[in-house]
Amino acid sequence: MSVERHQIHEEDVGAYLLRALSDVEQRRFEAHLENCVVCQDEVSRLRPAVNALPRSVHPIAPPLSLKAKLMAEVERDVRERQEAAGVSRRPGAFAGVRRRLGGAFGSLRPTMAWVSASVVLLVGAASGAAGLYALTEATNEETPRSVVAQVDKTRVPFGSGSLVVPDGDQEGAVLQVHGMPELEGDSVYQLWVRRDGEVIPQSLFHVGENGAGAAAVIEKLQDVDVVMVTRESAGGAKAPSEKPVLSVKL
Amino acid sequence: MGHIDDIESLADEEVMHLVQDGNPRAFELLYERHGGAGFSLAYRMVGDRVVAEDISQEAFLSIWRSRHRYQPDRGSVRTWVLGIVHHRAIDALRRNLVHDRRRSSAEGIEERHEAPERERTDVVAARREDAQHVRSALGDLPDEQCRVIELAYFGGFSHSQIAEMLEMPIGTVKGRMRLGLEKLRTHLKEKVA
Ligand SMILES: [Zn+2]
Repeated sequence: MSVERHQIHEEDVGAYLLRALSDVEQRRFEAHLENCVVCQDEVSRLRPAVNALPRSVHPIAPPLSLKAKLMAEVERDVRERQEAAGVSRRPGAFAGVRRRLGGAFGSLRPTMAWVSASVVLLVGAASGAAGLYALTEATNEETPRSVVAQVDKTRVPFGSGSLVVPDGDQEGAVLQVHGMPELEGDSVYQLWVRRDGEVIPQSLFHVGENGAGAAAVIEKLQDVDVVMVTRESAGGAKAPSEKPVLSVKL
Repeated sequence: MGHIDDIESLADEEVMHLVQDGNPRAFELLYERHGGAGFSLAYRMVGDRVVAEDISQEAFLSIWRSRHRYQPDRGSVRTWVLGIVHHRAIDALRRNLVHDRRRSSAEGIEERHEAPERERTDVVAARREDAQHVRSALGDLPDEQCRVIELAYFGGFSHSQIAEMLEMPIGTVKGRMRLGLEKLRTHLKEKVA
């Protein structure tokens, strides 16, 4: 370390940490920092003060659309990666994670591990509607097609639902429901698709106090003849345990 | 729902492990825990909800895409997340030369309501207390030091812009920044102790 150079830079530490140096100065300071132990110590000593600054900010609730847009992007990213890897459905894909976390995922069954990893779960009353709007808006600018669901009125007397399918697309369909009863205990609603007679598990979802909710169809809709919903116990099931309470015929 | 309860009981660092494995559900939880703080910081800096939303979205997508860069030994997940939001907001402020001066004093004028973070109540309470500590430590700084720190950190102004605004030599601005941080650090330690 050159003492002379250190003297040029020592006053920059505060400005550097606050990101108030010009780009050129910042690069010079960083170059100096690599070799100057004194400045390194100063930076690590004062950094906690800078890190505390954002914690002084008064919290403001972010718009619900932010989360929906973000998760739509992330889901798309995951889907593209899975497609690139030639993976459509791989039970137990998260086995390594479960092992590393030492049983934190003990209750997770293999199929559900996959489902939970690729689900867009839009829960609750307000977030259901707002999130759905943002999701379809983010994935497709054309008008989405909507298919009305058939509901078993004996079990869900006030229920209604519709499947929103992005126009001209086989992907990114979202089921929107209303008037569905809130389930007792840990029970969840589970979404399924049937293709060539095989029933494939999709997302799990809850409804809000007003009975509204939304859930994403993960599978492509190609060759799917029905999208349906059952009530299942916590964590979902591998196969439906009851006749669908709601179904959308395609 | 069993598995969601399980993941929610994890500490940030463990959630971050799952995020690094590409688990979107873990990322969603990360957003639920820190998205409010990120958005609030961006809003504090730019003073506009729409711009703050754009910045937060960019920041969280970059967190998702550069998730492997998080190193636990370099600080908490929250600090890392807020650092990325801060960088994005500074970039936005500098790119967009509008640089409306009201922004740095906008705090307190706009609506203030608690962000409902998906977090245990004791964590939320501890954060509220911590925020009070930091605010009071900042309040204890001499005005001229507090001012240069706020203009730089929240306003995104460079030292030379601040020197011009406050009509003082650059050396003085840099000195006050450094001295201010030094005092803030000491005050924070005292408050904790
Ligand atoms: Zn040095």
